[in-house]
Amino acid sequence: MKASITNRIRFLRFQNGEMSQAELGERIGVTRQTIAAIEAGKYSPSLEAAFRIANVFNVPLDEAFQWDAKDNSSKQT
Amino acid sequence: MPYREKTAWLSLVAMALAFVPYFAIVVAQSHSSPSSPSLRQLGLFAIAAVVQMAILGIGHLYLTHGSPAEARIPPDERDVAIMRRSISLAYYVLITGMILVGCVMPFNSGGWTIVNAALLMIVLAEVVHYGVVVVSYRRQL
Repeated sequence: MKASITNRIRFLRFQNGEMSQAELGERIGVTRQTIAAIEAGKYSPSLEAAFRIANVFNVPLDEAFQWDAKDNSSKQT
Repeated sequence: MPYREKTAWLSLVAMALAFVPYFAIVVAQSHSSPSSPSLRQLGLFAIAAVVQMAILGIGHLYLTHGSPAEARIPPDERDVAIMRRSISLAYYVLITGMILVGCVMPFNSGGWTIVNAALLMIVLAEVVHYGVVVVSYRRQL
């Protein structure tokens, strides 16, 4: 099943001095494996974690995470 | 491999090494074992429990010594989510097993058969618990 929430965390990491997953994890209080799972779209972070990630890169939340409204509406019908 | 996945694998290996031989002996001797509790059966169970504890103790010491920093890190939100999911699924296995053991088996079994069936249900629930943890980490869920 295609995930309806995607993210640009990997892109933002490389844009910010090629930050490693471990470093990002340390800054928001999760493990490297959790960051890897978030980037792969296999784990959806909590709202607080999502805000922390956006705050690390100094971007709005929807710059880091994107929600496909069309994909969600097709599931409801 | 994350530290918590390693400890889950350790628990699975410890249970397999301790309780597969135990249940193999129990099944092999099921026709000749007495229905009432006996010291021999109790001794077998004690050996299995000691073997499991020894493997877990030595294994945890080895894992903690190998990555002390990782062992000290508290569980993050994903670790907690995986724990909750695994315990929830294991609970359903355990409750189903206990209903079978407590409500169905007394009508056609007795003594050590019921005791061993209850023990088997507990072991199965633990296998589901740690199995879900391992699968969750392997598949990055």
